[in-house]
Amino acid sequence: MPIHEKSLIDPNQVLSAEKLVIEGVDVSGHWNTMILPRTVADYDPEFQKKIKALPGGENVHRCWQCGSCTNSCTMYAINTDFNPRYWIYCTNLGLQSEIVKDKDIIWQCVSCNKCTNSCPKDVKPEGVMKALQHWLEAEGHVPVSQSTQFDQEFTRQCLERGRIEDSEVMFNFFRKTGVDIVELVKKGWLGVFVARMNNLPLLRDGKLGKFIARLPITGPLKMGWMMLFKPRTRGWGKTGTVLQTYLEEQKHG
Amino acid sequence: MNDTILVVGAGPTGLSAAHGIASVGRKVVLVEKEDRLGGAPILSGYAKLVPSGEWAKDAIGRMVQRVEQNQLISVFKDTKVTQFDGGHGDFSATLSNGQTVQASAVVLGTGFTHFDSINKPEWGFGTFADVVTTTQVEQMLVAGKIACPSDGRAPERVAILLCVGSRDRQIGREWCSKICCTVATNQAMEIKELSPKTDVYIYYMDIRTFGLYEDKFYWKSQEEFGTKFVKARIAEVTIAPDGKRLLVKGEDTLVKRPIVIPFDLVVHAIGMDPNEDNPEIAKVFGVGLEHHGFVDRGEHYTSSFASTRPGIYVGGSALGPEDIDTCVSHGLAMAMRAVGDLEARARKAA
Repeated sequence: MPIHEKSLIDPNQVLSAEKLVIEGVDVSGHWNTMILPRTVADYDPEFQKKIKALPGGENVHRCWQCGSCTNSCTMYAINTDFNPRYWIYCTNLGLQSEIVKDKDIIWQCVSCNKCTNSCPKDVKPEGVMKALQHWLEAEGHVPVSQSTQFDQEFTRQCLERGRIEDSEVMFNFFRKTGVDIVELVKKGWLGVFVARMNNLPLLRDGKLGKFIARLPITGPLKMGWMMLFKPRTRGWGKTGTVLQTYLEEQKHG
Repeated sequence: MNDTILVVGAGPTGLSAAHGIASVGRKVVLVEKEDRLGGAPILSGYAKLVPSGEWAKDAIGRMVQRVEQNQLISVFKDTKVTQFDGGHGDFSATLSNGQTVQASAVVLGTGFTHFDSINKPEWGFGTFADVVTTTQVEQMLVAGKIACPSDGRAPERVAILLCVGSRDRQIGREWCSKICCTVATNQAMEIKELSPKTDVYIYYMDIRTFGLYEDKFYWKSQEEFGTKFVKARIAEVTIAPDGKRLLVKGEDTLVKRPIVIPFDLVVHAIGMDPNEDNPEIAKVFGVGLEHHGFVDRGEHYTSSFASTRPGIYVGGSALGPEDIDTCVSHGLAMAMRAVGDLEARARKAA
């Protein structure tokens, strides 16, 4: 008899020994396969509270499981494992392990917001996807995403000086995410970008001209200067410390 | 012609009908089998009514008082109609106290009977002290304390099971009892108000908070009081190995997984059965019952609230599961029908 809804069986729940002899009987291979029960034995009401406390997750408790989000979802059309309705339900009942199981899919949300526009209960599913992604990062279930790394660098500079320095944000972002900046200037889009900013007619032709064009000269010179001397917003004083404290308070309720 | 109209049953339907008839100057004889007026909301000790939020004893109490103080209404409590003869305009009813009442028309507001959860033994009522019904929760709410009957502790977690005695072919209840979803979502809010640390989970097949009860009860319960809704029809309620908490077993159809969840208190959202006296009522008054056992309607569109016997009108939850507001409206509509038909007969005779 075939196993009904075989897809429901989690591979981690299947126990199978390649070689096994019980009381003299060889039951090697699939003869000894056991599937652990997948019964839900409890709910965790704290999990919903955690997600609700994260930006985007505020309305998750409103969901009534109509499935409008999943039906309208750009990602679901490509991959039917991408199911916002399901994750929202698991969040509300506190089935954390189900969320962790899908940690490598949840981040794929493209923020098209079709779900948020079609949701009859104003759950803002797109926000819930963000909140879940942040929770997965904060708990160490997934590596910190590039966009979070960018946000972290951006926020750090804001708090420190009341403003950001574009080139420093980009420089530190590339460094943290392991991008080879020299390579990027020599051969990648950054070099093209810089050359266009330089925009000097002499630097367009010939091997040398093209090489020099990619070095930060006029326009980028100012950016480089700013990066070294890091100007602060006037009268910034302790504002950053105050903001930092406020953010911490918000985070820990 | 006799200008008395006989009203049977003094719940929201009968009380409304009696007052309506008296308000146009006709005499009413109101017969109630119990020793008190008010019907289910009073007899079962309901707390706050849906949707007004008024205490049952206040709201229904006003209806009772209005009827008791009316000179045109004679009330007989602890009384049944035992024999009934005659035709429209000229009925004769013998009461269980031996008196005879002459009446030109009859209004039946004979109501319903709460489903007895003993008939679903797998859900633990009668076996475990901490399995109760929505009626018992109403009584706890009146007393102002939510507690597990077994040891009086405040429940950390409550499960309300919907459709107990409704929508269940296994036990011959093929109807939706209409109001239990609204009552359950409302009770979840009231439980949370009395005991803020208690989490309430509602196990449902569908949520049928019809009309304006949708946002006022369902949405509010979920969005403002944190009531959780789980799509599962429970298979069994058993007791945990610790001998204390209850285990609610079933299949959560949205996660496609079996569930065995511990709860402190399990509440059956019980449905509305036909009045258990309906076979007797049908026999005494000579009216038909529909196939579920509720009192049958005659033609509705041009003869609203007609029973199958001319001159006898039926409304409220005698016709099928109904909420209190609708019962009150039915009562008044029946008063209009009964008096209007008699006026028409009188004009025709003249």
